[in-house]
Amino acid sequence: MRRLYSIGLIRGILWQILGTAIGVGILTGIRAISGLPAWKAESAAVFGALLGALFFLYGIGAVDDWIKVAAGKEVHEPDESGWGRRRYFGVSYDHKVIGIQYLVLSLVLMGVGGSFALIFRSELASTGLQFLTLMEYNTLMSLHGMVMIIGILVGVAAFMNYLIPLMLGARDMAFPRLNAFGFWLAVPASIILLSSMALGGFDTGWTGYPPLSARAPMGVQMFFLGVSLAGMGTVVSSLNVITTAIRMRSEGMTGFRLPIFVWGSLATSLISLTATQLIGLSFQMVMFERLFGMGFFDPAKGGNPILFQHLFWFYSHPAVYVFVLPGLGIISELLPVFARKPLYGYKWVAISSFGIALIGFLVWGHHMFASGMAQYLRVPFMYSTLLVAVPTGVKFFSWLGTLWRGKIVFPVPMLFVLAGIVVFLLGGLTGPPNATIATDLHLTDTYFIVGHFHDTMFGGYIFPFFAAIYYWFPKMTGRRLNETLGKVHFWLMAPAFIVLSTLMMRIGILGMRRRIADYDASLNVTIDHRVMTVAGFLVGLGILVFMINAFWSMRHGEVATGNVWNSRSPEWQVPSPMPIHNYDKPFEVVGEPYDYGLPGSVFVKFKEGE
Amino acid sequence: MEQKSKSSALTLGLLVFGALAILTAVEFIIAVTINIWQVLAVIPILKALLVFYYYMHITRLFEEEKDQNRASFAYKLATNRIGLWLFLISDSFIFGGLMISRINLLGLTRPDLIQYLGLGVTTILLISSFFANRAEVSMEHGDQKQFVRCISLTIGLGVLFLVGVIGVEWQLAPFGPETNLAGAVFYVMTGFHAFHVLTGVLFLGIVLRNGLHGLYTSDKHWAVEASAVYWHFVDVVWFFFYPALYLIGTLAQ
Repeated sequence: MRRLYSIGLIRGILWQILGTAIGVGILTGIRAISGLPAWKAESAAVFGALLGALFFLYGIGAVDDWIKVAAGKEVHEPDESGWGRRRYFGVSYDHKVIGIQYLVLSLVLMGVGGSFALIFRSELASTGLQFLTLMEYNTLMSLHGMVMIIGILVGVAAFMNYLIPLMLGARDMAFPRLNAFGFWLAVPASIILLSSMALGGFDTGWTGYPPLSARAPMGVQMFFLGVSLAGMGTVVSSLNVITTAIRMRSEGMTGFRLPIFVWGSLATSLISLTATQLIGLSFQMVMFERLFGMGFFDPAKGGNPILFQHLFWFYSHPAVYVFVLPGLGIISELLPVFARKPLYGYKWVAISSFGIALIGFLVWGHHMFASGMAQYLRVPFMYSTLLVAVPTGVKFFSWLGTLWRGKIVFPVPMLFVLAGIVVFLLGGLTGPPNATIATDLHLTDTYFIVGHFHDTMFGGYIFPFFAAIYYWFPKMTGRRLNETLGKVHFWLMAPAFIVLSTLMMRIGILGMRRRIADYDASLNVTIDHRVMTVAGFLVGLGILVFMINAFWSMRHGEVATGNVWNSRSPEWQVPSPMPIHNYDKPFEVVGEPYDYGLPGSVFVKFKEGE
Repeated sequence: MEQKSKSSALTLGLLVFGALAILTAVEFIIAVTINIWQVLAVIPILKALLVFYYYMHITRLFEEEKDQNRASFAYKLATNRIGLWLFLISDSFIFGGLMISRINLLGLTRPDLIQYLGLGVTTILLISSFFANRAEVSMEHGDQKQFVRCISLTIGLGVLFLVGVIGVEWQLAPFGPETNLAGAVFYVMTGFHAFHVLTGVLFLGIVLRNGLHGLYTSDKHWAVEASAVYWHFVDVVWFFFYPALYLIGTLAQ
């Protein structure tokens, strides 16, 4: 029992349960004392969940050092060298451990969110309702969206945390304690988000628009609270990334010698540092509307539901750039390695990430063309949206230029990179029809949008993310993932996914609405739905193969301690897995990062004798 | 020499406070007489710039690096400053979102509140900011006694502000959060701000406690600086919320 309790994660969850119970008790007590009807389930649940999250953080020890500082005691960096595997289940300040923790949480969340998709995908295989009620369908569909989004945010944080200090040659992130805090905030937040299923679910979709969300079942409160908390986690994580990239660079690593992945992460962090607060605020305002009767979005009280959409999309549109910019950075990072050629137009690619991020702040209105937004706002938003294609095109041009006449090899990471480029191109090209008002009025809220969105997410995030896992797995574990199983994974997932998303767009044009549990048989899309369901399961099967591969290769994979991919990046110049405090000797940047294939060129030089 | 630089820093703090006080008074007079919203929108920006420059020392972010050694206190201090400012930028987006909601929902009307009470709590917060600056300057010059005195005053005034807003204003307001839109906007804006004031008071309280134990020196007092900068930030937010809630526009129905 005591051994179990000493595992941080279990301790945290026990404390969370305790905190939730105490929170419910306190709130009920206060209500009883102040003469209100003592039991109000919704207020009790919200307060309990909030207190539960705080108790989790205290119980697991994520705030121990800050409490010590506040009490005027000295804090020391713990020596984690003897902790072994236990480091991964509790609070660790090592950015590599936190990165892997993030990675595992991301895979778990995406596994959960993906299974939700498979459940309601099966429901859609025939018209009529088979085995889900309408509310169950809506809950699964809404949670699929948000769980995946949190999973992606967490996955982005995984690679930012793991790679950035290694690429910069730093010992750790700028604020290791804040880093651990940000990760452990994501865990109770995910638990709270998923607990919405137990509290009646909700039927609003992941957007949670009022007035629907103002009268949805109680689960929507857990959804709002979970997302708000997870949002705070991404804020502190992005704060950390920006500070690290400004302050912890090695000697000679000037702005235009930074790896592209760091540029992409900086642009991403800029968005999530600022805009995330607005989704938190908009969700909290709906929470207050439900709890205290404040009429922000209630037309009966003079409120304005459109205001919510503005606040919400001001984050949620740039959020997709949060998801894809690090992914596109990974593509730019890996392509030169496998094409054995310098990255084409390095400076332009570096700047284009910021271009996408900055334009991304000005386009949110294109989600509201059909929602009754002021007429004169529509055209500027259309043009600003189309403008995003310019910096994105720069990236594509660079990728093609890099591949051109390269000595291309095709190990598994490269396959995923290439699939990412193709799928992201499909997603990108189906964007302008949604951005153009005239066509969007026809396409809005149809499966065309769903197909477009899944193409951008898979191309910009999922495929590069898997490429990155296959690529950096030897760095994390000292063993390679099995190539054959990797190829099985790829050939199951990539073609099936392209079929899936293309059919989504086809039925969207034919008039299939999104977010609905049932459809008219006379639409003649049943056969498409069947094919999509099979394709969806093939994608799931591919990911299952990957999971098996990961578990097997961790113990039995081919040992790979050297520079497996013949990369120039500094982390590959030292043996894998990475030692606890990263580099024994500091390095100096003496050349360009991506000059592959140029004889005699050097990127980093380790300083001897220090 | 040391004494002279200290007294000049204290004088500067006093001058800035004077300018802020005059601007606040002018703002109030304009509001109750001609009430031109453009002027009322510019004055908080001027006040904020004064505080950013003189009280929050924004220029310290761009100082030349003294010590390139990563492990040194000076390098770590500069890193911490960047982290704190990034947090403030992030936080200001919450308050910006609240302001946008207020503008969208209420436009050129304002909730039915007692304007003199608003002026009162604003004055309290302004004075507390002045003492926060004085506390930090005292610590920079190693004057522990004055530091303790000033930071206690800051905390006291902060608590007084909370009492003024939550204990008095929330009780006297002729509407509840559910009554109408003006009520909803008023309670959410003051609520978010009061929460930040509360965290600021707690932060200052911790700094006071550790200061009494002699944990800070004139060279190493990052916590003092951070708590003061955070406190000024909370003050700056109120510079904008106060005219938005109490001064601009005509009474909402």
